[in-house]
Amino acid sequence: MFADIPWTVIVLQLFFGLALGSIYVLLASGMSIIFGLLGVVNFAHGTFAMLGAYAVFIAISLSGNFFVGIVSAIIIVAVIGAVTEFFLLKPLYVKKDELLPLLLTFGLSVAVPDFMKIVFGLIGKPVSYPESLSGAMLVGPFIFPNYRLFIIIFTLAILTFLWLFLKKSDLGMIIRAATQESEMVQMLGVNVSRIWTIGFSIGVGLAALAGAVAAPMMSATPDMGVEMTMVAFVVTVVGGLGSLGGAIVGGLFIGLVVAVAAFIAGEYANVSMYFCMAVILLVRPRGLFGEIGRE
Amino acid sequence: MGNQNGLLTCKGGEPAPRPTIVAGTVAFLLFLPLAISVPLATEILIWTIFGLGFNILLGYTGVLSFGHAAYFGLGAYAAGLAFRYWHASVLTGIALGIIGPMLLACFIGALAIRRRGVYFAMISLAFGQMLYFMALSPLKHITRGEDGLTHIPVMTFFSISLNKPLYLYYFIFVITAVMLFLTWRFLQSPFGKLLQAFRENEERAKACGYNTTLIKFFSLVVSAFYAGLAGALNTVYLGYVPLTTLFWLTSGTMVMMTILGGRGTFLGPLVGAGVFLFLQNTISLFTPRWELIVGSIFVVIILLFPAGIMGTIQEKVAAFRMARQKT
Repeated sequence: MFADIPWTVIVLQLFFGLALGSIYVLLASGMSIIFGLLGVVNFAHGTFAMLGAYAVFIAISLSGNFFVGIVSAIIIVAVIGAVTEFFLLKPLYVKKDELLPLLLTFGLSVAVPDFMKIVFGLIGKPVSYPESLSGAMLVGPFIFPNYRLFIIIFTLAILTFLWLFLKKSDLGMIIRAATQESEMVQMLGVNVSRIWTIGFSIGVGLAALAGAVAAPMMSATPDMGVEMTMVAFVVTVVGGLGSLGGAIVGGLFIGLVVAVAAFIAGEYANVSMYFCMAVILLVRPRGLFGEIGRE
Repeated sequence: MGNQNGLLTCKGGEPAPRPTIVAGTVAFLLFLPLAISVPLATEILIWTIFGLGFNILLGYTGVLSFGHAAYFGLGAYAAGLAFRYWHASVLTGIALGIIGPMLLACFIGALAIRRRGVYFAMISLAFGQMLYFMALSPLKHITRGEDGLTHIPVMTFFSISLNKPLYLYYFIFVITAVMLFLTWRFLQSPFGKLLQAFRENEERAKACGYNTTLIKFFSLVVSAFYAGLAGALNTVYLGYVPLTTLFWLTSGTMVMMTILGGRGTFLGPLVGAGVFLFLQNTISLFTPRWELIVGSIFVVIILLFPAGIMGTIQEKVAAFRMARQKT
């Protein structure tokens, strides 16, 4: 049945899968940083991605430039994230119940999309592709749409930057240390509470980035958030909870699975990633990169 | 297990509810249609049954599932399919609507119940979505996809037609009363006590030699029983199965109701379902955007009163009694 599908089409589908996977990687790595640092499963992660998509829509209609839009989307959502963490999540840490932050962010993911519906209407806001990234690149017989290529390279750049930030900068070092032993870091005289706020806003900033680069492909809709939360959850379960490497490999893997499923059996596209998750749970319960004991 | 002392277990534990409370609740439900509209009262009963089971899992065992729409929806579809294609009797349909979700809970429980709390919450949500998308398109020829399952014949129960709202209400009322009684007995049983011991201190229960994984597993399956029953009754009540029975917001609604009513309190599910549905119906009169208001209320509850309505009342009563004993 696959014999008559030309190679170029197959390569194109895999390429789509990589681009989709890149968005998933951005989503899941933000989730992973937040969980690793704060121990919070952020149910509103996709909601922040949705806010990112709207922020990019607003910024583009004001400035007319896509790249200004992306940068302002990160900044706006990171600030919203910091405020959320400071006022809503911080009071819950003392209660030592890890279900409470999950429930609170769940409440946000119910309320905020409705708020967006009131402000921006029920129908999604289209975000157009940037002029410079429309069209496609031809390499031999293969076609690579420019915008997808941009997403892959952009994600690579962001991940490199994130890696350098975490490994080389002082703040990154403190974040890594606080992920391991927050009490010890506190005793060494670092204001860990502030580090948590920063970590949370970095995490939701990455989610906003995912929403922003996805916006031209799916347009900004109020209800896109839950889908994205779901993706982040599945990738996290597949890759392993609290592991950045797992988020990257898991994200690309799920992206490829969804793209291939959409190609060969369209109606199973949405279901495929959940099947994937079930299989991973059967054969490797802690996820691809999960540490034993964390799950 | 030391549950008689209100002070030690102020974290949501409660003294055993007296039999009069169960009887009083049943009497209250008997006359509920006099006070509010019959459809609203019926919905409250259905969600109370759903909530009684969910509360056993979240409130008494301390396991958060975000995928209970899977059991509710599967119960609704199993009953609906049996009614529509096999012309099953109402009790057969309900039985199928219970067995299906219990089997699903065995499967999901076997896969995921060993994971720690937040992890299980994520996995259960994902499985719930899996069922939703299965019903949406790959199984469209059976489930009718987005339109929901329609053309379900009117049910009769011993030649009483259940299409009259009040008959249906009392049909479901009897089931609710039985479930309330059973739940009350269940929570007094050694196993029910074990669940609470597990919630209060998992490590200690483990050290006492109990298999905590098995406890969680059984708790999940029991809650799937309630969810399936509620789903099947929902099908009888609506006369069709909307796809939204499987939607994540159905799970979310259950979570919100349980927290609102007070997790781990006997009357929490009824109070939660009642207050939530009343709020939803009232807000819907003015604006379709009830999720904004209900979601915001939920956030406030989590921040200020995580014990919920009944839990907070119990804390206050316990504190009042303490104060009186001192003087």
